Amino acid sequence: MKSQSTQRNLKSLLLNSEILAVVAILMALTFFLTTRGLPMVLTILVDFAVFAIITMSLNLETGFTGIPQFGRVLAVIAGAFAVGAIPGRLLAALMGLPAGLNYTIDTVQFQVSPELTAALSGSWMLSLLFLFICLVIAALSGAGIGWLTSRPAIRLREAYLGISLLAFGDFLMWVGHNWVPLVGGSTSVFVPDPFRIFGGARFEAVVIAIFLAALLVYAYLNRLTVSPFGRALKMVRDNEVSASAAGKDIVKIRTQSLVIGSMLAAIAGGLYVIYTGTVTAMGYSRLVWTFWPWAFMMLGGIGSTAGMLLGVMVLTIMRTLITVYRFEVFGFLMAWGINPLWLEFTLMGAVIIGVILFLPHGLVPEKVQSILPASRVNSILSKGFGAKLQ
Amino acid sequence: MLKINKLNSGYGKLQVLYDLSIEIPEKGITVVVGPNGAGKTTLLCSIMGIADVSSGEVEFQGNSIRALPSYLLARQGISYVPQMGNVFAELSVRDNLQMAGYLLPTAKAKKKAEQMTVMFPVLKKFIDRKAATLSGGERRMLAVAMGLMKDPKLMLLDELSTDLAPIIAEKVISEVARLRDELGITILLVEQMAKRALEIGDTAYLLVSGGVRFAGKARELLNEPELCNMYLGIKQPAAQNIPSIEGSR
Amino acid sequence: MAPWLATGLIYASALALAAGGITLLYMSTRTFNFAHASMATIGFYVIYTGSVLGGGTPYRYFPLAFLIGGLLGVICYYGLNRPLLKRRAVEITLMMSTLGYDLILLSVIQMYCDYLTFSRRLFPRRVSMSIYDFELLGVSAATIILPLVAIVFLTALHLFLVKTRFGVAMRATIENPVLAGASGINADRVYMLAWVIGGGMAALGGAAMSMAITGTPVLGMNSIPFMFAGAIFGGLHSLYGGILGGFVIGMTEYAGVFYLSQIFGPWVLGYRMGIPLLLMAATLLIFPRGLAGIPWAALVRNLFGKKGGIRV
Ligand SMILES: Nc1ncnc2c1ncn2[C@@H]1O[C@H](COP(=O)(O)OP(=O)(O)OP(=O)(O)O)[C@@H](O)[C@H]1O
Ligand SMILES: [Mg+2]
Repeated sequence: MKSQSTQRNLKSLLLNSEILAVVAILMALTFFLTTRGLPMVLTILVDFAVFAIITMSLNLETGFTGIPQFGRVLAVIAGAFAVGAIPGRLLAALMGLPAGLNYTIDTVQFQVSPELTAALSGSWMLSLLFLFICLVIAALSGAGIGWLTSRPAIRLREAYLGISLLAFGDFLMWVGHNWVPLVGGSTSVFVPDPFRIFGGARFEAVVIAIFLAALLVYAYLNRLTVSPFGRALKMVRDNEVSASAAGKDIVKIRTQSLVIGSMLAAIAGGLYVIYTGTVTAMGYSRLVWTFWPWAFMMLGGIGSTAGMLLGVMVLTIMRTLITVYRFEVFGFLMAWGINPLWLEFTLMGAVIIGVILFLPHGLVPEKVQSILPASRVNSILSKGFGAKLQ
Repeated sequence: MLKINKLNSGYGKLQVLYDLSIEIPEKGITVVVGPNGAGKTTLLCSIMGIADVSSGEVEFQGNSIRALPSYLLARQGISYVPQMGNVFAELSVRDNLQMAGYLLPTAKAKKKAEQMTVMFPVLKKFIDRKAATLSGGERRMLAVAMGLMKDPKLMLLDELSTDLAPIIAEKVISEVARLRDELGITILLVEQMAKRALEIGDTAYLLVSGGVRFAGKARELLNEPELCNMYLGIKQPAAQNIPSIEGSR
Repeated sequence: MAPWLATGLIYASALALAAGGITLLYMSTRTFNFAHASMATIGFYVIYTGSVLGGGTPYRYFPLAFLIGGLLGVICYYGLNRPLLKRRAVEITLMMSTLGYDLILLSVIQMYCDYLTFSRRLFPRRVSMSIYDFELLGVSAATIILPLVAIVFLTALHLFLVKTRFGVAMRATIENPVLAGASGINADRVYMLAWVIGGGMAALGGAAMSMAITGTPVLGMNSIPFMFAGAIFGGLHSLYGGILGGFVIGMTEYAGVFYLSQIFGPWVLGYRMGIPLLLMAATLLIFPRGLAGIPWAALVRNLFGKKGGIRV
């Protein structure tokens, strides 16, 4: 009896923490809107959207399937580099501009890239087509990376796998940094801008587009995870032996999860470079694209898709707060010459530790799901045990 | 000496023992028997603070020892020989004995270790070998030796005789009786050789499905042919056997 | 001595120390210590600060680096690791908690660099520690001293683990915590000591590494994949495997870069980190449990004994 009531108390507390978080987010956004104007809010939203997709994809692989994905940056890089390297070249080739290995050299870039964007900003058709091609290429390269990583993922045990993925994420970044034809090496490569066609409203348009993409991914994952496939994922995660005894093909399920997850992360990477308009290899560090999403995921509550949105939003707002108020609030650090921006690292570290110690299930704890669909459970209950239960 | 009252325990969410109450009188052998999976090992684990105790009391010499870490229990004089994992496989036999005497003064530990190698000559032969390379029976001997090394007030022994050849098993069991008679050590003995254990034992508990099915004098349990038959596989009509044992004493 | 070999030796010794620390911590507390990265960086900044502000050779400050690394380890143990172990947290949770700790340490390092730049007019963000080195027997002292430091330290560690009572108790606890506890060994102290030694080894490794490569605030952050690679290559279940793994990973990088760039040209330099990683990946794909999982005895028997293939 006692444990039941404490459970209920805990439950209502957690429910409150969700509501509290949403209220706090809305308040913070309104606050930014009134004090700093719309661009600030839009910047938060676009950061949120990109990382929401990545964090949800991470959650699919880690939270739902139990793969220690410490190489999230791999798929993000796959998408970003692919969009930086391929669609622009295609367009340049079509227009008879340099599109070979020299395409990414900075002198060529400064000459070619304005022409490409000019061509795009002249035609809705072309812009839309270009955007579409970008996304397809990002998705394909993400799926490719996902499939490649699924090979060792079948053979290696937890820690071995996580660390191998982490190491190869770094390696891919260095390849981009050193091999100029890919994305320009240490100088950046420009991405032709399919949103330039919106003219003065370019920023608003691209933010809305990416935000919508995040919502779409959310809806898709929500449906996926309640589908039989989603339940199979959790079965594999919770108990491989019983999952395979139940006739699940574990290798196939893990592969599918990695391919879908990496595809989504790559699309996010692609969207991000379209938004920023450039790709700089060194920007794709494991810190930002693997560890930050892990922090978001842990705060949100591993295994809950809605939690990801909350986690990303809360932390994005907190990061923005630090950036915006670094001088007002933390100005005293300047007396020792310390840049208050480093507090962002402190914050992330503290959040990770705080969540682990005090909020192990995150803001939105995973709901314990039955292996069977609810309708089946109900029908079994009403037929078989109904009489006994009542 | 040890008093357990209404103990509920298990592993995580799995509960194994239900409202279990047991008392272990001083300077006697308390035998705990029961079928596989009854919860005998879990009982010992609960005493040692290894299993998860959800409620109940565990008292040692009048003080509550519930939730104490096992190294403190060892320091209070409780020695535990687990059923499995009872030697350090990666350490040499010598180091195993040294670790068993961890709480003793060095000189005393050395002397004790020598006594053990006299009692189990096999150990002397293999003194520098890794315990992992010993045979099952040799390992069990090492485990018993390690339990005896500690000079305890209370010994918790989990299935000592398993893996041992009958002659050695008999030797080990009578050694347990000697520990009580000569050194006055209190012993909680879990045994599969139920009949032999009950013969040397003073008090007995029959554990079935996490509860006490019988509690009383050890020889009284041998007098319950139904229980013996059903749970312990002691086939002979017990009533005929007992007088002869009494007579031999 | 060829320059690549000299630098490679220093670097490989550094990785051996760091990877050994990672392995020790993993074996005793099931924790993959991400904070090894910042602990190593802090080791570097200890000898840097010492050499610049205190004077003398960098080697004077190695013991201090070890102590500070050990202290950081103890803080991690009592603040994070111990409560989580008590709760029987899973490996991923343990690992992530050290990542949080690492990020906090990283921010402290960055702030410290800001401070040094601002108030001491130093340039701590790109440091070549070799300018504080001296010459010994015709080569840079680091080439001789640092491998020696690694050997002496690791020998001492070995003797401690094998010859002393507490060292044996440490091995006993790592292998079988339940039985060790029942023997009266306080596992708490063992784990704390593991963090002291592990953290100290991280700092020593970082300090040694900065004698071979440029010291930056992300020295550890950038090299942690190799520390992990060394530990994993070694198999994670043997301290000696981890140490050897770190050394091999380090040496492979330098030897590989040297020979491959002679064959293919200097562009290979840019992809140097791929060489040890490929070695690790290849080993893991054939032997999923690393060096320690390779049946060495059987291999040797089959190779030098009777005819017949190598069975794995
Ligand atoms: N570490 C553990 N985790 C989960 N369940 C366990 C664990 N150890 C034992 N159990 C379960 O607890 C129950 C009681 O086991 P226990 O080991 O106490 O039995 P026992 O009486 O000692 O049996 P045996 O005579 O075979 O040794 C069993 O059903 C067993 O499966
Ligand atoms: Mg048992």
